[in-house]
Amino acid sequence: MKVTVTRENFQRGLSAVAATIPTRTTLPVLSNILVETVEDRLRVRGTDLDISVSVQTPAEVERQGAITVPAKKIADIAKELPDQPVQLQSEGGRVAVVCGKSRFRLNSLPSDEYPSFPEIPFEKGWKLRSGELQRLSAHTSFAVSSEETRPVLNGVLWQLRGDEMRMVATNGHRLAKMVVKVGGTASGEDDLIVPPKALQQVERLFDSEDELEIARSESHLGFRSERTEVYTRLIEGPYPNYEQVLPKDQDKECLADRAALTAAIRRVAIVASDQTHRVKLSFSAENLGLTVQTPDLGEAEDEMPVSYKGSPLEIGFNAQYLLDVLRYMGSEEVKITLSAPERPATFQPVGGEDDYVTLVMPLRLME
Amino acid sequence: MQRRIHILPDHVANQIAAGEVVERPASAIKELIENSLDALASEIEICVRNGGKTELRVADDGHGMGRDDALLAIDRHATSKIKSEKDLRSIQTLGFRGEALPSIAAVSRFELETAPSDGDTGTRIKINGGSVVSVDEIARRPGTTVTVRSLFFNVPARARFLRSAAAETRAVSETTIALALANPGTAFRLKSNERELLDLPRTADLAGRVAAIWGEELASQLLPIDYVADGVRVAGLVQRPADARPGSRRVYTFVNGRPFVDRFIVRAAEDGYRTTVPPGHRPALFLYLELAPEGVDVNVHPTKAEVRFRDKMKTEAVVGAAIRTGLEGLASAAPLGMPGLSSRQLVGPPTGRGPGVGAAAAVERAASQMALFVPGAEAPQQAPADESGVTPTDMTRSGAMWQLHASYILAETRSGLIIVDQHSAHERVLFESIMRSFEEGTAGSQRLLFPITLRLSPTEAQAVEELSGILRRIGFEVEAFGQNTVVIHAVPNPHPHFDAERCFREMVAELAYGSPLVESARNQHERVAKSFACKAAIKAGQPLSELEMSELFDRLFASSLPSHDVHGRPTILRLSLDELARRFGRS
Repeated sequence: MKVTVTRENFQRGLSAVAATIPTRTTLPVLSNILVETVEDRLRVRGTDLDISVSVQTPAEVERQGAITVPAKKIADIAKELPDQPVQLQSEGGRVAVVCGKSRFRLNSLPSDEYPSFPEIPFEKGWKLRSGELQRLSAHTSFAVSSEETRPVLNGVLWQLRGDEMRMVATNGHRLAKMVVKVGGTASGEDDLIVPPKALQQVERLFDSEDELEIARSESHLGFRSERTEVYTRLIEGPYPNYEQVLPKDQDKECLADRAALTAAIRRVAIVASDQTHRVKLSFSAENLGLTVQTPDLGEAEDEMPVSYKGSPLEIGFNAQYLLDVLRYMGSEEVKITLSAPERPATFQPVGGEDDYVTLVMPLRLME
Repeated sequence: MQRRIHILPDHVANQIAAGEVVERPASAIKELIENSLDALASEIEICVRNGGKTELRVADDGHGMGRDDALLAIDRHATSKIKSEKDLRSIQTLGFRGEALPSIAAVSRFELETAPSDGDTGTRIKINGGSVVSVDEIARRPGTTVTVRSLFFNVPARARFLRSAAAETRAVSETTIALALANPGTAFRLKSNERELLDLPRTADLAGRVAAIWGEELASQLLPIDYVADGVRVAGLVQRPADARPGSRRVYTFVNGRPFVDRFIVRAAEDGYRTTVPPGHRPALFLYLELAPEGVDVNVHPTKAEVRFRDKMKTEAVVGAAIRTGLEGLASAAPLGMPGLSSRQLVGPPTGRGPGVGAAAAVERAASQMALFVPGAEAPQQAPADESGVTPTDMTRSGAMWQLHASYILAETRSGLIIVDQHSAHERVLFESIMRSFEEGTAGSQRLLFPITLRLSPTEAQAVEELSGILRRIGFEVEAFGQNTVVIHAVPNPHPHFDAERCFREMVAELAYGSPLVESARNQHERVAKSFACKAAIKAGQPLSELEMSELFDRLFASSLPSHDVHGRPTILRLSLDELARRFGRS
């Protein structure tokens, strides 16, 4: 292999891939990146076996080929190189990097030891604008579970339907769901359970204006734009039936200023128990009271004006869950619906065209 | 008419009294050693032959007696130790009944040699079965030597009940050890058939004496305790929970310097260990109770093995509290490295003996003993220097905290470093918070979006039904669904990595089928709390963020027994800078 690229393109490619390189690994080749030529382009690839990223950049290719390079070292070198063309050339078991007067030779591992990337039939996939996917993921993936025994809940459910797509995430205590209309060309319906880490890469690597091709194989999902590809392992279902738990008979409704509510919760939560983060909300006409009582620490009370319809209600929540759902709400006002102290509360933005709902299960208040 | 009732001749009365005071060589030796201690001896030598059945001898360098005192001493109820009935209520010496010498002399071939410390001539009195055979003037150094040969030669019934020489020697040895533990400032030597069994030099502290008797290893496992409440002081050494073992153990209790046996006090002390010791493990205890002489009646039993506390419940409560307080500090965490001697420097003499001389010395001694155990006053500042002073505030919180193998947390302290087992630590934290929430009703219960449906065995389903009230109070809202199936609607949420279903399954199995852990609980609430703490705690292998680690530390050190989990395993290992320096050859 012998190829020349601009330093800027080279560095951009390396930093895009670097985030997937595992910091510690038992498989030494994974701490390398794969550098290879594809026609008149240079392609850089990295993987941690769950998520793989590949970036292409224009190059002058003298001799086709592929080689692996220690990811950390080559990224550090690229950062320090003068702003001149960078030539990469394989020399037996090593790779030579030449840029101006600087020359490096790095030991490398054979490219055929590098894990192969999943085969994804993109011709049978969907096309959509990156920004729509990113908006869905930004509003929902925070709600996934951090507990590892129910793998489906560690992923985000992404439902592709004819003219809309939905994303849902939950840890069983709180849930976030968003629906967007899509104008893209959709080929068929599918339910995918995607690791949130992959969606983070999608948010990071694609421009919101990028047209994405998305397709799946049996076990993998691929996202690609002209230059960039992201692949992830899919989590196997079935996903719990979330439609069934979304409440339909909420008879109490509260409109509150989102910023004021967030600030009040943050204040009282300071004295909440580290373990339960419990805060008690007392809804009554025109007023929302917030109370925290932690026996070995102390108490806090706060209140704020709200508009509330329904009989007065006292209900407990994990303050952290409330703050999480309020953070992504994006509207000035938030609508809260409730029915009983042991039934879920929903939180929705007021105004805007987003079809977005979050749901939080209460913490029982001890009698 | 012949009278049926008559006064017994003295020698018969003495034989009967002897039966109460002296039942075996060990009890004779106890009386003689106590006399030596009351005579302010600094060295006491005990020799037995054939378990003391053939001969026993106690020699001291105490203040001795002149001829007249010596003759009086062998008369019944002759004593220098009390004068009137009033004194009985405030006894400060070990002996007082004036029964010991005449009783022993009544049932043996008895020889008393004594010389007073003021340089007067010595006296030797020989008595055979209670009858004085000779009284001679002799030359000897100050002090007293009592030799008892052919014990019970004239009471064959009693002699038949003596056990083998080995068994009697063991009893003598136990007696000597108990008295030696009460008096570390006195040197003791015990020989049996010319073989040395014990050689205990004078030592400044109790740990030194324990080390001389059983070796440094045991001494290094002991924690000093020192606690005063309600006019009772409980001091001494107790074994670190992690070192407690099942089976044979060392338990010695003293009240006002006097060994005594009271299983209720021992049980109160063991209750003080609460959940820190695995069931069946028995910690070594060396407990020294000090209370006003009026507070304890030692005149219950001729051999004074039993005492009666005026306020039994209060005394037991103070003993339990003393142990709990002693285990609170980090010092009770298991140390890493060689048995350190550090704990020894922390304890002063439990019953120090002032260098008093003369008749008032005994009283003075007792007074100075009290001073040691009364707060303030002249009590030496046993400020727990380096080690037991380790408290959470001693953590150098410069972010110096690492997780090792996703299971242990290593943190720097001012005096070295500690390693915390994250599972054990969280177990302790959860246990205490659950027990507290039983009282305060503060456990949170997170409603579930997707209720968990579980199929249980019939035994488990029954356990869930019986315990549903308690389960609800720790946060599990369980509904029976018929056919041994339950639906869980709400769960506790002790940490973000909590697996409610697995926790519930494991807990219910343990509660239904039992385990050493839950069998050790005292009631149903504690059973459930222990099982829950164990199953719900963060598992080994769970990576923790910096924030989670520091939160765990805060909560661990806020708990009342941070150094032990509910199985009694240690949660914290300490490595001191001294030990590090020693290991690197820097000391």
